[in-house]
Amino acid sequence: MSTVWLPCGHYHENYVQDQGWWQTPVLKLKMLLLLAVVFVFIPLLLPEYWVGVGTMIGYTAMGALGVQLLIGFGGLITLGHAAFIAVGAYTSALLVLEFPWPAFMIDWGLAYPASIVVAGLFAGIWSVVFGLPCARVKGFYLILTTIAAQFITVDFILTQYVSKIGGRAQAFSLPPGTIQIGPWSMDTEIETYYFMAILVTGMIVVLANLLRSKPGRAWVAIRDNDIAASTMGINVYRYKILAFFVAGAMAGVAGAFWLSNTAALSPEHFTWFWSLWLVGVILIGGVGSIHGAIFGSIFMVLVMEFLQMGVIPLAAYYPKLLMNFAFLKEAFFGLIICVFLIFEPHGLAYRWWQMKNYFNLWPFSY
Amino acid sequence: MELFVMTLTTGILVGGIYALVALGWVIIYKCSGVLNLAMGELTLIGAYLTWSFYQTGIPFVPALLLTLVCGIILGILVERIFLDKLIGQPLLAVIMVTVGLAFFFRGVVCFIWGTDTKVFQPAVFSIKPITFGFLRISPVFLWSFVAAIILLVALMLFFKFTRWGLSMQATADDETAALSLGVSARFVYAASWSIAFMSAGVAGALLANINGLNISVSYFGLLVLPAVIFGGLNSIPGAIVGGIVIGILENLSGTYLDQFVPGGVKQIAPFVFLVVFLLFKPYGIWGWERIERV
Repeated sequence: MSTVWLPCGHYHENYVQDQGWWQTPVLKLKMLLLLAVVFVFIPLLLPEYWVGVGTMIGYTAMGALGVQLLIGFGGLITLGHAAFIAVGAYTSALLVLEFPWPAFMIDWGLAYPASIVVAGLFAGIWSVVFGLPCARVKGFYLILTTIAAQFITVDFILTQYVSKIGGRAQAFSLPPGTIQIGPWSMDTEIETYYFMAILVTGMIVVLANLLRSKPGRAWVAIRDNDIAASTMGINVYRYKILAFFVAGAMAGVAGAFWLSNTAALSPEHFTWFWSLWLVGVILIGGVGSIHGAIFGSIFMVLVMEFLQMGVIPLAAYYPKLLMNFAFLKEAFFGLIICVFLIFEPHGLAYRWWQMKNYFNLWPFSY
Repeated sequence: MELFVMTLTTGILVGGIYALVALGWVIIYKCSGVLNLAMGELTLIGAYLTWSFYQTGIPFVPALLLTLVCGIILGILVERIFLDKLIGQPLLAVIMVTVGLAFFFRGVVCFIWGTDTKVFQPAVFSIKPITFGFLRISPVFLWSFVAAIILLVALMLFFKFTRWGLSMQATADDETAALSLGVSARFVYAASWSIAFMSAGVAGALLANINGLNISVSYFGLLVLPAVIFGGLNSIPGAIVGGIVIGILENLSGTYLDQFVPGGVKQIAPFVFLVVFLLFKPYGIWGWERIERV
């Protein structure tokens, strides 16, 4: 069944049409408009600060898409996704800083793009390592392995060993000019934003295509009932591992992107809080839809921005508010998650779907 | 050899406190099927409350009792406001509500009490170690262990012999049957959260006496997860055994492995152990006898 609302008189005759990207002209126009907003209006019209906020939304969305794949489509609950983002970030940083690149690659600005690919692959493999117990365990026990992944990777290996490579104490900083893609060095908000927009669009395309082909159908079948899936000839274990690999690879690319945003790296960027934040993002956005990951990222980042804006004027009277803003943010995040799960368990994507239906069916909604 | 016995003793004593936290965890899981990731923050709240009462001049034991009373009230409130509405929801939703609660509590605690390390002034336990032969144990550990054991025994008796304890066990076993026999499930859920808050509060107060009190106390809430898994999710003796095993494991690896892999191996060892353990024995150890097979 098509998930797209077709106008009167249009029918699909085969599966290819049914799974098509742009099934009606209106839809095509809408998507082109969206691309125009993302690629033209936001970077060119908004002030630089808000472009930076857009970059942050994109970074959150990149992580959230991986989490959405595991939780929303694979049914594999992960609470350690920041570990794989961290692995990607550190792989990329180490490659850029320490690897003896041939001169032409540095001249042409290919070192960083190459490192992103390696970072994605490595983070994917790292994720598979921690996904291996999913052959034996499900549900809550799998959650614990992913929590273990977080602590083993970030709090132990990265903090104690990797951070100290090359005599560094805690944080890596990347000198300007090392993060270079072709002729562009990522040192303005606009360049980073464009890089983010391209990566997020690419990830959505990859994920959407995976989901409408065999692996995606297998993941959803396993999520809904793994025993039924295995009787239908799906190799449950292999597809679970594949889900871990794809999600890990996406996390790795997100991590490598993080370098171009901050030009510095420390284990504190990838705490357990960030893993949970990403899960919270997809819960608020809606589990089991790509829209959900995007809406959730937009919502959470914007809410936190507005919270900060609201707190700044109050801080004149009660300075503790701004000093302890990080804790306020945590408390607020916790409250938002609780409220959403209790009152809006389907997330924002469900509201969006309802809104679309309302307009599609208007004026006769029965 | 002496070093080994010392490490082992410390491990067992610390394990007693882990067992307390793990116990609160298992009680909630047993009674309402909620996987509570906010356990560390419950510990944190208990610790800070005890500290606050103690600072106002109330002696330690009454301060602890006051904390228990606050724990009961908080437990009922939390259950009524948040968890009550989530009975029968999918696993992820319930877990994430507890995660949300964890963030909320932690944010509030840090906002009120700040991040500086607090110390009980004047010290509750003397610093002079107690000596048994070559064993030297600091009184804090010993008293913590004694308190943990007392509480554990009290809770086990509560579950075995009191009307409330039995009704909680009945609900855990089969909710529908318990309801039909006149057990109030809502009461049982509220009671389980209260007990969890209480045992976490005691554990928090004791931990705060050992290392000083700051946000890292909440880390113990995560550290007990390996203990709970090891013992089996819904077995009270399992939680106790798991807590002690994790305590021993942590201290042994801190003593012997730290020279080969420096850094925080002590904190990570239970988690590494957990991942490997899950690969071979996914559903934990349910009874005492089967531990010997590992």
